[in-house]
Amino acid sequence: MEINAVINGEKVKVTCHPNKRLIDFLREDMGIISVKEGCGEGECGACTVLLDGKAVTSCTILTGQIDGCEIMTVEGLDKIGELEPITESFVRNGAVQCGYCTPGMVISTKALLNANPNPTEEEIKIAIEGNLCRCTGYNKIENAIKDLKVKES
Amino acid sequence: MKTEFQYIGKRVERQDTADKVRGKTKYVGDMTRADMLYGKLLTSDKAHAKVTIDKTKAMMIKGVVAVFTNEDVPQTPYNSNQWFPGAATAEDEYVLHKIAKHVGDRIALVVGETPEAAEKGLNELVVFYDELPVVIGFEEAKKNETVIFGTSNLAFEKSLACGEISEGFDRADIIIEDSGSTPKVHHSAIENHSCLAEIDPFGNLVVWSPCQVVFQVQHIVAKALGIPYDKTRVIKTTIGGSFGGKGIPILEPVCAFAAIKLNRPVQIVMERKDSVAGTRSRNATIQKIRTGITKEGRIVAREIVSEFDGGAYLTNAAAVAMAFGKKAFRLYKIKDQKYTGRTYFTNTVPGGACRGYGSPQLHAVSEININNAAKAVGMDPVQFRILNAVDPQEFILGAKDDIGMPGIGNARIKDCLIQGSEAFDWENKKITVSSKNTNRFAYGIGVAAGVHGNGYHGGFPDYTNVDIQVMPDNRIMVKMGIHDLGCGTVLTMQQIAAEALSINPKSINVPQADTFTSPYDSAGTQASRVTFVNGGALKEAADLLKEKMITSYAKLFNCSVDAISMIDGTIGHEEGKKISYGELAILSEAKLETTLKIYLEYKSKGNPAVYAVSFAEVKVDKYTGLVEVIDLLAVQDAGQVINMTLAEGQVEGGAHMSVGMALSEEIKYDKQGNLKTENFSKYHLINAPSMPKVRTLFIQDGEPLGPYGAKSIGELAAVTPGPAVMNAINDALGTNISDYPATPERIIEALSRMRS
Repeated sequence: MEINAVINGEKVKVTCHPNKRLIDFLREDMGIISVKEGCGEGECGACTVLLDGKAVTSCTILTGQIDGCEIMTVEGLDKIGELEPITESFVRNGAVQCGYCTPGMVISTKALLNANPNPTEEEIKIAIEGNLCRCTGYNKIENAIKDLKVKES
Repeated sequence: MKTEFQYIGKRVERQDTADKVRGKTKYVGDMTRADMLYGKLLTSDKAHAKVTIDKTKAMMIKGVVAVFTNEDVPQTPYNSNQWFPGAATAEDEYVLHKIAKHVGDRIALVVGETPEAAEKGLNELVVFYDELPVVIGFEEAKKNETVIFGTSNLAFEKSLACGEISEGFDRADIIIEDSGSTPKVHHSAIENHSCLAEIDPFGNLVVWSPCQVVFQVQHIVAKALGIPYDKTRVIKTTIGGSFGGKGIPILEPVCAFAAIKLNRPVQIVMERKDSVAGTRSRNATIQKIRTGITKEGRIVAREIVSEFDGGAYLTNAAAVAMAFGKKAFRLYKIKDQKYTGRTYFTNTVPGGACRGYGSPQLHAVSEININNAAKAVGMDPVQFRILNAVDPQEFILGAKDDIGMPGIGNARIKDCLIQGSEAFDWENKKITVSSKNTNRFAYGIGVAAGVHGNGYHGGFPDYTNVDIQVMPDNRIMVKMGIHDLGCGTVLTMQQIAAEALSINPKSINVPQADTFTSPYDSAGTQASRVTFVNGGALKEAADLLKEKMITSYAKLFNCSVDAISMIDGTIGHEEGKKISYGELAILSEAKLETTLKIYLEYKSKGNPAVYAVSFAEVKVDKYTGLVEVIDLLAVQDAGQVINMTLAEGQVEGGAHMSVGMALSEEIKYDKQGNLKTENFSKYHLINAPSMPKVRTLFIQDGEPLGPYGAKSIGELAAVTPGPAVMNAINDALGTNISDYPATPERIIEALSRMRS
């Protein structure tokens, strides 16, 4: 089917099988490699993207579902200059080790801060509850998000 | 006396993490090659079966290039755990298997022009399983009615001892007996196993692998495929977590085979269910422990018997049992002690290295037993541990421990206990914790100690080579076989070299392991050896380089070496000219015909112990059996922290793994050997809301043999938080749960048993 969508700020018109998983469409057809696969069933959050501003796991969404929608990944946030403060905070706080879960974690962070610029500790934890990280124990990721909150408030 | 360091201990920022946030870092699954093919593994649905595969229909699928089964691959057995060619071991694995020995065993590879074609081909394979009797669990294994390999399912057995336990137990006033178990644990690196193999323009095989030991991958691939070692190039890629799970080659031999056979690049990326079922796991254990104590609370004798579920292949059957056992002799002063370890084959995922290598299992049960011993004589569990803990060993090169292994070094376990209990407010919490109890919620506190090592010295070859050079542009090039597993190993090395040479760590490049460009390293990034051994080697090489730089400067400027100083990338004589290290390198080449470069083969000088103690407070819901960890303090005897941010990251992440083992993580099989926990919906990792804040405390008293006093951190970090949580649960409920994990079901069962 023909898909009309806005991906990372650019209008895209492509023909794609509607049953193709969104993660595969983004990686294979769009070359967006920040979207990582970890479980393929929506449990680990490594493939999280913004779908019309909300964080969703792209392995459980079919490409047909994004017709007429807006998709944002870290590449897109970078392009519009919204990634740099997050990058700076994640790096400074030591929130990144192997880095494989990181882009998904950043997308969940962005979804949270868009909706709630001043989240509590509890709200931060809940925002990333769907993003598994085996390296950090989440502590430093939560610190990185907290630092962003202070800056934005 | 504390030395003031310029870079050691500082929170220097990593240089690789910004690109990881931006999603620019390429993992193997993100790499592409012109003409690249995609491989999909067929893994066994059955736990034990002779497999026959009809490829005909699969080969007719458009885009399927090849299907390989056992019949197509070399019939050379290997043991994937063998990390250096001289390690004696039996060999029972093949590139692809004809007899599947566990669900998830690799039995065929479909190679396609696209991932979809390979997937379609996989679905068209006609697989016939001629099922064999299945061995699941220790009881079945011991019956030996079905033998998985060799003549018995007993894959390994050995005892270690000091003194004579019968005499020790005779002196005991009380003997405390406990039994317990620990589950198979999935490493849960979020990046699944992956590999890319290709042939370079000179006909060399190039294997791109997120691995821990490039020279092991080279050895296994060359041996299994019968190709020259020198034409087998293994390059360590960015890794999306390992924790031991990617330490043993799984995909590399079959991926390399396909690339050679088809003379095209081949990429294989596993799915989660295959990563759980078809790679490696932490070995499950069942344990029995008897500890003899005097009424004053001194441990006089201990006997530990631990059995290990080795899974379907030999892999680490010996190594895990020995690594577990040796540590039992390095935490408490016990004159008469005996350990027996036995590893059994079962038709389950094979065992392999997993963060802590035996230590998490040992301390899981023995630290519950220690608590029960303290309770038996009415002693506080912290005080009981302080009374019995080992003391620092006087520094003598070549010192030994109670069983003849390398000495324990500057063992600061007592400092961990004393300073940790103060920081946790143990004495106060002990009095007040139960006052929070309600009908529904019970509160408790727990402590647990643990010990780990620093490499292989004393057991296996533990040496490395360093090539360090000053470049003309005032930068430093360090070539050594290191693998950053995400922990920040590269930065650790940069900071060590920076300290030795007095130059900004960012001016030092430490590329990761590549068998064509890195000098040989005997054991890779495993066994908690990198900071201590590779870091020790780098410091020594950098010190030698510094000497050479000073000598060269003295010759060039005709001055004495005494008053030459090196600061911030500049070398100069107090009365003479100051030049950059780069300018010195140019002058040395031009006028002295020498490169400012050192090549050093460095043998590890020891294997000191490292210690940790965790303190935990939990809130247990007696209605649901759910546990909340409300406070966790992890104390580590770190010698000297190289980078505080990295060290904290290790301890916090280690706590995640250890608390997971205590509360929710468990690979489960049914009696037919079907995997019940094939993905994260069934295998429960702790997520952010359930993860406590981890308070960290580092005891930094310096290890004489370590670079700048440093010793290992990362593996030990995954040892004590779990047992501390378990002891806290038992404190809260008055139970003696010693089977991990303490799931809600187990807690409810223990409570109802107590009531009846």
